[in-house]
Amino acid sequence: MSGAFTKSMARNIFYGGTVFFFLLFLALSFDTHSQLPKRDMRANITPQIAEGKKLWEVNNCIGCHTLMGEGAYFAPELGNVVARYGDEGTKAFIQSRPKEGIPGRRSMPQFNFTNEQLDAIVAFLKHVNSINDANWPPNDQG
Amino acid sequence: MQYKSQAVAKPYFIAAIGLFVGQILFGLILGLQYVIGDFLFPAIPFNVARMVHTNLLIVWLLFGFMGGAYYMIPEESETELFSPKLALAMFWIFLVAGALTIVGYLTVPYAALAEMTGNNLIETMGREFLEQPLPTKLGIVVVALAFLFNITMTVLKGKKTSISLVLLIGLWGLAVFFLFSFYNPVNVVLDKFFWWWTVHLWVEGVWELILGSFLAFVLIKTTGVDREVIEKWLYVIVTLTLITGIIGTGHHYFWIGTPEYWQWWGSIFSALEPIPFFAMTVFAFNMVNRRRREHPNKAAVLWALGTGVMAFLGAGVWGFLHTLAPVNYYTHGTQITAAHGHMAFYGAYAMVNLMMISYAMPLLRGRAANSNKSQVLEMWAFWLMTVAMVFITLFLTAAGILQVWLQRASDAPLPFMVAQDKIALFYWMREWAGVFFLIGLVIYIVSFFVGGEEKQAV
Amino acid sequence: MNSIAAEPAVTARRLPGDLAIWFFILAEMLAFAVFFAAYAFARASHVEEFNQYQQTLDLNAGALNTVLLITGSWFVALAVQAAHRDEQADISRNLLLGWLCGAGFLVVKCFEYAGKFGAGITLSTNTFYMFYISLTFFHFMHVILGMVILTVLWKQSRKGVYGRYDANGLESGAAYWHMVDLLWIVLFPLVYVMR
Repeated sequence: MSGAFTKSMARNIFYGGTVFFFLLFLALSFDTHSQLPKRDMRANITPQIAEGKKLWEVNNCIGCHTLMGEGAYFAPELGNVVARYGDEGTKAFIQSRPKEGIPGRRSMPQFNFTNEQLDAIVAFLKHVNSINDANWPPNDQG
Repeated sequence: MQYKSQAVAKPYFIAAIGLFVGQILFGLILGLQYVIGDFLFPAIPFNVARMVHTNLLIVWLLFGFMGGAYYMIPEESETELFSPKLALAMFWIFLVAGALTIVGYLTVPYAALAEMTGNNLIETMGREFLEQPLPTKLGIVVVALAFLFNITMTVLKGKKTSISLVLLIGLWGLAVFFLFSFYNPVNVVLDKFFWWWTVHLWVEGVWELILGSFLAFVLIKTTGVDREVIEKWLYVIVTLTLITGIIGTGHHYFWIGTPEYWQWWGSIFSALEPIPFFAMTVFAFNMVNRRRREHPNKAAVLWALGTGVMAFLGAGVWGFLHTLAPVNYYTHGTQITAAHGHMAFYGAYAMVNLMMISYAMPLLRGRAANSNKSQVLEMWAFWLMTVAMVFITLFLTAAGILQVWLQRASDAPLPFMVAQDKIALFYWMREWAGVFFLIGLVIYIVSFFVGGEEKQAV
Repeated sequence: MNSIAAEPAVTARRLPGDLAIWFFILAEMLAFAVFFAAYAFARASHVEEFNQYQQTLDLNAGALNTVLLITGSWFVALAVQAAHRDEQADISRNLLLGWLCGAGFLVVKCFEYAGKFGAGITLSTNTFYMFYISLTFFHFMHVILGMVILTVLWKQSRKGVYGRYDANGLESGAAYWHMVDLLWIVLFPLVYVMR
């Protein structure tokens, strides 16, 4: 049983297969975009939430924490932190971090946020918590 | 070395190794911070060290890819590089930009860095792996375009082999998908959705084309197997890679607000993702077994086989372990992900670059292969680093399984930090494995400076 | 696929077509196999739902499409046989007929989709429809790809590229087209009929 095995055929299949699966991926992505508004709660995004997301980014929170499971695994998941600690609890935690850290423990920096900034961060985290992410994480501990 | 202009690869390789050392040193700092939480705090908090660790990885791999391409393309195209001067200029621009970015991370608080580098113009910072300030991101685009121009022109004026073609598609894909790093909408779901178009379509898509073409090139050179044979297998493997990997992106769309059908699509296609890696391993071993010459550079062949095996284990097996949605529901964002990430990046991309460096560096230094003494040392380094990485992965996997159990699956789930304290032993063992990795890396570098009787290049 | 293997003109045992296409076919069939297995797995825990919504599917359209694809495969097999006999005109004609069968499949499927999408059914409606749309659409795209391949084969055949001594490209394309047919023959009973 010896058939041909040619490079030109292999190359054509590479091109054809790649284009095919990329188009399929685009089709699925297109469908995703039509479904997302029902899940990502975009209608609720306020300037305050946008400000909170920006603060989340420029302080590189993702460098230690996860958000919906993505990020670093050094510190707790924050996509559901408001469910765990409540709004005030979350704010109090961020505010009370000692500048020099806690001896021997993983320490979160003191960011010196204003009250408005803390409100924005919590608004953002609450927004993330409201996203329909297929019931992830499994429990409040994240 | 057949073409003078291949010499531009040398500084790229040296820089790659230098940055690799930096990456490992910061890795050790991070490992220690996992068990001694306030180590170097507040001077270098974890997030800064991690950013340096991952960004150095990306940059050194890019240096390796560029150096590898500059070495390989003239030889494949049978012509001098289009512009060696441009290649050298880009080297310095990239190195200085990279160094300034790292210095920025380490000396300025991240928020201040964002402020002073114009993050307010286009907000792109503060997302995992894409933390680079705007000027650095733009610099990467400029360097990538100049590099692609240089390489593409070289291929266009010379011979167009399948290996260069696959490499070109991989490199152009790398540049194109990087553009998604500039898209950061306020809607966090969309942000994450397209973030993966850079991250996943790089590492489980176009980078694998680069990996495949490097591997094919070195196998042709070291085994003497017919180019025709190697090139058609290369096509088969990269086809398998893309038909599984593109839709495989879906395994990142399980829990970030995207529709639930991705749990099926993502699971099904990523379950097939180990196949191309397995094919690659079989391919590498097959070609080496069918070799028609004994190449004096044994170390390069070892790296080639090693990258096949380790990429299959790290990306294929460890990827599959937690890729099915019902499993991933519990393992998502735990140390299991970290375990997979470490072995996959080392096995697929660190090792393929080290393979290219191992093959090309002696030739760039005017010899067919390093002295026997030097090669023995390099092979020691190979085994030390690889075995250390296996242990790092195993310890992180153990930590991850316990973490899942304590924090997610048990009847009385523990808070994150309580669970972390209970698995500290595994973090200590991981750190020690990391020390062995560093020793391997030091031996690797020493092997460049060991003399002995060398075979002259022909 | 049998039509080629059983062809008397081929004496030595030989894999028709290019080995490269067989890797691709195997990979594709594996993807479908995993998808089918996932369907079975999901059905096991949603038997009621699957049975209920399966009844909303149009069996006639599915059966018609089955006939169309099998006929298409027959024409393409005839094209390969024509090539082995060096009958150039026959190759092109049969490829064209095969292509038309594919086009017929697409038209029928589009009517079926129009009904379903018109009723507001999407991938996110429920698990059964998720599988129904995913599997049939994934297959639908394969039919399109198969038709693109047939178009290329037809063009080449008009140039007289294929014949007794060079049927590699034609056989490869035909093998792919038969796979598209075969997958439908599994998909149709599985999704439309089996309770």
